[in-house]
Amino acid sequence: MSTWWEIQALCDPAAEDLVSWRLEEFGCKGTASERKEFGYLVRGYLPQNQVELLDLSALALRLKQDALCAGVAVPAVQWQIIDEEDWASSWKQYWHPQEIGDRLLINPAWLPIPEQGDRLILQLDPGVAFGTGAHATTQLCLEALEMRIEGPSDIIIADIGCGSGILSIAALLLGAKRAYAVDNDPLTIDATTASRELNGIERDRLIVELGSLDHLTTMIPGPVDGFVCNILAEVIVDLIPGFAAIAKPSTWGVLSGILLDQVKPVADALEANDWIVATLWRRQDWCCLNIRRS
Amino acid sequence: MAKKVVAIIKLAINAGKANPAPPIGPALGQHGVNIMMFCKEYNARTADQAGMVIPVEISVFEDRSFTFILKTPPASKLIAKAAKIERGSGEPNKKKVGSITRAQLREIAQTKLPDLNANDVEAAMKIVEGTARNMGVTVAD
Repeated sequence: MSTWWEIQALCDPAAEDLVSWRLEEFGCKGTASERKEFGYLVRGYLPQNQVELLDLSALALRLKQDALCAGVAVPAVQWQIIDEEDWASSWKQYWHPQEIGDRLLINPAWLPIPEQGDRLILQLDPGVAFGTGAHATTQLCLEALEMRIEGPSDIIIADIGCGSGILSIAALLLGAKRAYAVDNDPLTIDATTASRELNGIERDRLIVELGSLDHLTTMIPGPVDGFVCNILAEVIVDLIPGFAAIAKPSTWGVLSGILLDQVKPVADALEANDWIVATLWRRQDWCCLNIRRS
Repeated sequence: MAKKVVAIIKLAINAGKANPAPPIGPALGQHGVNIMMFCKEYNARTADQAGMVIPVEISVFEDRSFTFILKTPPASKLIAKAAKIERGSGEPNKKKVGSITRAQLREIAQTKLPDLNANDVEAAMKIVEGTARNMGVTVAD
């Protein structure tokens, strides 16, 4: 398990920017600050093995000099070691089983499987990969898959930017025959593989590999029946010209991760590449496009 | 009924690059915020500003839900960009690493004004000038 130095500086509001800057100069990748009764508590983090106690003492001195130079109160500086586990899992205690659409139930892997109801249970331990089912974009995709896959079938799908693998696994639980998943983040490949095992999905029904759309075209034996792509609008726009390589005339697509004010460029790119938006579903500021060949 | 805010957290992170590592994980995890959800939202809203640090102010409510607003880039980043330097001086009193004009200082102060504890641009300029001084960047009149 990794451990980190957490450096804390309680400072005058006028010195907040200065303290953040000094922490970044020291090597912290980003800072967090929280408003407190007597000022701002600025925190920076560094892997424990990167700095010694002497370095931290020198940092405290620098922060003092900065404050004196700027004519503001000297910040109170302290540091402590924290375990990665402390923050990586702390939010999970607030994560509960969640019903999505009419047929799915997302269950955190660290909780017991709920008493059998009539819903399909999707076990998930998202780790550091995106796709918990709690976000509107993922929910919209899951509901779109529920509409497209009504039971056991020969449907083959592709999952571009698979994250935790939640969409591929949902498609398979809903009745798809096979899913091909890709993501360009190595962490997500492990996460999707773990999700596959967690849900008892056979290895040959969910094939997951590192890469993007280009790589996907080398994985699939032929055009897919449907595909899901829950990433970000800018990325989707770049991918759209490549969708034809995995599609046949009857192929449908589900695109999500698109903010409402980003719909137009996505729709324009779709139209320019012979796709049409069949339906647009909206939740909060997000929307999901169900597309088909024009 | 309005939900009660239990914490207001500011993060200075790279646009489009949020992930659960520090500082985001520890800062939000302790308040029960779904870290991945925040990262996705932040990345979506800042993807077009890649390469810049875009601070964000997050309000965490008592039910663990949250909202956030994006802020202006840190003064230090704007100063470094104006002075065409990679980073500040390790010894600002002895070693100067660059300079900016007073007009550039005013422009930075105007950009930062909404996020600074300053009533007018002159007061903002004093704060930004202090940051420049600590970086080893001089202001040329």
